[in-house]
Amino acid sequence: MRRRLDSVLASVSRAPELGLIWILAAITIYAVAALPAFRTTSNADQILSNSTIIAILALAETMVLLTRQIDLSVGAILGLCAYVVGSAIGHVGGGPAVAIALSLGLGGVLGLGNALLVDLIRMPAIIATLATLSIYGGLQVVVTNGSQLYAYQLPHWVNALYSTHWGPLPAFAAVAVIFVVLLTIAVQLTRWGRDLYAMGSNPGAAAYAGLPVRRHTYEAFIACGALSGFAGLLYAAQYGNVDATAGNGIELTAIAAAVIGGVSLFGGAGSPLGAALGALLLIEIENILAIEKISIFAQELLQGLAIIASVAVYALVRRYAQVRARRRLRLKPVEPLPAAAIEPVPITVEGREASL
Amino acid sequence: MSGFRHLLRWESGLAVLAVALFAFMASASSNFATSFTLQSLALNSTVIGFLALGVAPVIISGDIDISIAAMLGLCTIVMADVWHGGVNIWVAAVISMLLGCVLGFANGIFVVLLELPSLAITLGSMGAYTGIAFLILGGSAITGFPNSLVTLGTGLAPGTGIPWSTFVLLAAAAALAFLLHRTVVGRAIFAIGSNKQASRFSGLAVVRTKILVFVISGFMSGVAAVFYAGYFDTAQGGLGSEDLLPAITVVILGGVSAYGGTGTIPGVVLALFVLGILQTGLGVLGLSGQEQTIAVGLTLILALAVSAASRALRARLATAVPRVPSREAA
Repeated sequence: MRRRLDSVLASVSRAPELGLIWILAAITIYAVAALPAFRTTSNADQILSNSTIIAILALAETMVLLTRQIDLSVGAILGLCAYVVGSAIGHVGGGPAVAIALSLGLGGVLGLGNALLVDLIRMPAIIATLATLSIYGGLQVVVTNGSQLYAYQLPHWVNALYSTHWGPLPAFAAVAVIFVVLLTIAVQLTRWGRDLYAMGSNPGAAAYAGLPVRRHTYEAFIACGALSGFAGLLYAAQYGNVDATAGNGIELTAIAAAVIGGVSLFGGAGSPLGAALGALLLIEIENILAIEKISIFAQELLQGLAIIASVAVYALVRRYAQVRARRRLRLKPVEPLPAAAIEPVPITVEGREASL
Repeated sequence: MSGFRHLLRWESGLAVLAVALFAFMASASSNFATSFTLQSLALNSTVIGFLALGVAPVIISGDIDISIAAMLGLCTIVMADVWHGGVNIWVAAVISMLLGCVLGFANGIFVVLLELPSLAITLGSMGAYTGIAFLILGGSAITGFPNSLVTLGTGLAPGTGIPWSTFVLLAAAAALAFLLHRTVVGRAIFAIGSNKQASRFSGLAVVRTKILVFVISGFMSGVAAVFYAGYFDTAQGGLGSEDLLPAITVVILGGVSAYGGTGTIPGVVLALFVLGILQTGLGVLGLSGQEQTIAVGLTLILALAVSAASRALRARLATAVPRVPSREAA
């Protein structure tokens, strides 16, 4: 029994985000059985599509969280890009390729701004991105100038994207799947990705081991900004209307999704798949609460409790895994040597014995 | 004592900045240096000031508390709800401060006993506290607080032209400055912020001290709630969330290291002045609220850039001066 428990816990600790699949499955089975309004195809489509923006932002956040940084400006980047890119393709025109390139590019530039503050000024990421949150958010208000972008000003293909299906999947969900696959390959199967994990686990050791720590810091923030900018394009597609408040506060939901998905705020642990599943879990719970007509205000409370609970569980699981690994290697806790066992060593300077 | 000298320099820099900004604003607009503008500057800074003073010890001890604005909101709403239910307003105010202590204690317990990252925990409790506040009042608001509370929040002390709330804020700052800079507990807070491991090995009560700083943070949010209700005369779900960013900006601008271990309360108070002068002044000059927000963000970046540059310069000077001639040269 003990051994069985050990092996279960060990597999959980290797990939804690897989535990999330079981929780998702349990909640889904309950909802399908208990709520007739839940088990319609359109509701399933809605949950998947609504998760996409949060999932993409959570993926963006994962890139910087893995390296033991954080980015609080993703919501502001989303809002700014949604308005600027939406206006650009609305007024000048442009196909999907232009829009995607523009959103990724603008987001990447804003992410570069964060990276410059973190690397050149050596500001802690939480302070630097707090500052850029107010700057990018302020810019968003300045460029919108009190007006807003309406759905009819956007090209038709943007408006149609949210209700499009690609095969069985809604287009939005397919986009999320594509990004999860791409980022999983990037961070888990390439040397670049292993470097990010190494930086997050031990920044000092990563630098001493000769990893290009500074370059990777730039890359992580730029990737985060680019993904947030792309999420801005999706925002314009989903909601049609973009105003000065678009994306306000969404960064906390994104961080919550990543944390619930097993991405550690201390860096070096977690996966893109987990972050996306975290987003799916949050949106599914929101959907169920809405169907059960539970106050929308309870959502925020529940989300807060979910963050605390998941952080606690992941921390306990990881600690257990460490203890277990130590036991397997038969590492005893280090005991100080008795004073008598320490032999005095003569201190020599350039071959001569020092006179102390 | 070089660290002490650096801090002195940081605070004198802030003082110079405050005076220069004040002179600039006064010369740019004749409306700035009027008693009305300065009084509204003081009143507008009060709530942010209490929040900043509360979170400063947490940041000095090497942690962070981003639930301060949510605690402010929940305390204000509970206070309003209790008063609405027929309790005396001053009893309700005491309840608000006690509730702040309890909320801060809950944060501290999770952070310390479970050894969880404070950023994640207070992110979670921020959502939880905001959610509870919404559940208590739903979408409605409570207004029309008694005159005595509104006087405390907006009134001027007779004969001085200075708001009551400013006196209370300065008294709280003095008390915190004494606690942090003149007591054993305060020294422990700094020690834990600069090296938690070493503090534990040298026998400091790390757990108790950590919980204490979170309780202080919660208590000050509860105090801020009293002045929020007195100043704005309203309590509604989601209130105060816009105060989180300025409060943390004030603490960092005040010279508190985001990595913990350094910082002073006088620095935080000076930074509050600087930010107040900047925002009120830009408002008088006709900039919109969002343009003021951009200016605040830029100020924060500029201040940290200057401090990073001066640190680098000083490090270069320090290594350049005692250059010992090498063996080959001799």
